[in-house]
Amino acid sequence: GAGGAKGGQKVIVEPHRHAGVFIARGKEDLLVTKNLTPGESVYGEKRISVANNNATENGAPATTTEYRVWNPFRSKLAAGILGGVDDIYMKPGSKVLYLGAASGTSVSHVADIVGPEGTVFAVEFSHRSGRDLINMATHRTNVIPIVEDARHPLKYRMLVGMVDCIFADVAQPDQARIVGLNAHLFLKVGGGVIVSIKANCIDSTAAPEAVFAREVQKLREERIKPKEQLTLEPFERDHAMVCGIYQRAG
Amino acid sequence: MSVDYLLTENPVGYAVFKVVAQADTIGNRLKEVQEATQDLAKFGKMVELVGLAPFQGTAHALQEINDVSEGILSDFLRATLETNLPKAGKKKSIVLGLSEKNLAGSVKATFPNLVCETSETSEVVADLLRGLRQHGPKLLKQLQEGDIDRSVLGLGHAYSRAKVKFSVQKNDNHII
Repeated sequence: GAGGAKGGQKVIVEPHRHAGVFIARGKEDLLVTKNLTPGESVYGEKRISVANNNATENGAPATTTEYRVWNPFRSKLAAGILGGVDDIYMKPGSKVLYLGAASGTSVSHVADIVGPEGTVFAVEFSHRSGRDLINMATHRTNVIPIVEDARHPLKYRMLVGMVDCIFADVAQPDQARIVGLNAHLFLKVGGGVIVSIKANCIDSTAAPEAVFAREVQKLREERIKPKEQLTLEPFERDHAMVCGIYQRAG
Repeated sequence: MSVDYLLTENPVGYAVFKVVAQADTIGNRLKEVQEATQDLAKFGKMVELVGLAPFQGTAHALQEINDVSEGILSDFLRATLETNLPKAGKKKSIVLGLSEKNLAGSVKATFPNLVCETSETSEVVADLLRGLRQHGPKLLKQLQEGDIDRSVLGLGHAYSRAKVKFSVQKNDNHII
């Protein structure tokens, strides 16, 4: 097709401000993550190979690193990163609890970010999406698929350890409560919370700004101190991303 | 009410801890108390391991997690509690802290002398269980580094595959 990064063209990959995320600079700039399973696409996304060294004279074979393009129109986290979120609370080696994992397309990029030393606990309630999630996780051993309702975190308490970050994209009217329940059980003190809020899913009659303000207040009541709120325009309409820190004391 | 013992469910087995020292309910949200829970050196002095009952293989672990998530007291867990908890006398009852209220109900039905506290009824229990989740792998001396990670991976797949009603082998073709 037309547009996009053409194969075989010269591309330079630079690290992003957030550890584990990269930018591919070619004809146009793309957000990419380092592919944990080189040679494989998860959902038909483009891949970019970059040669690490071409010095083959001393016997060392030329190695390449493969990156996968992360589409901000398909992933709220990618949209948030391009929107300039200050901190994503996840880096190589982090443990992340991902609520609302769906088919695992965004989860696969989070798995790339945390790398082989990190873990992603991916929770999804829908059986149809859960099946795709399980299939994705068979190739990525740092993803633990959990097909269960995030409203009942005690059901999967045996599977989840203490985590550094909770990312929630559940699009439910009671999502602040869902995030709170999970944070009280699994999130370490000082850990990060990132919630993607779709105004329509909470209250379709109120103004989006009023809905966001109310959700932030609800998070505060769950002992999550809000740090920042940003809109996901132009990638999503009437969406906001709220980040906060979990505090247990006081 | 003070808590004497704690039960935690790991992917490798059940562990019973004895509570040596604990915060009181009023001071629980103080900064110092909360910091003590996060510090392994301090938290290690608050609890001590009584016993770990490991599961026999993945099939057994899957059976146990299904029971645990539904709040059913399995025979294996009953045996674990029987061996690791002292017999409650007439005068003093023993308080066991655990995570979920359905399981607490099942435990109580089988052990009438036992008093159960859950994370919901007592914030002290909630904090102790959080501490065990954070430091548990280090406090279970029999385990080696990475044991829990490996069993979580296997158990997560087994549990989720059993939950999904569709054939896991098939893939959906997404229409984008």
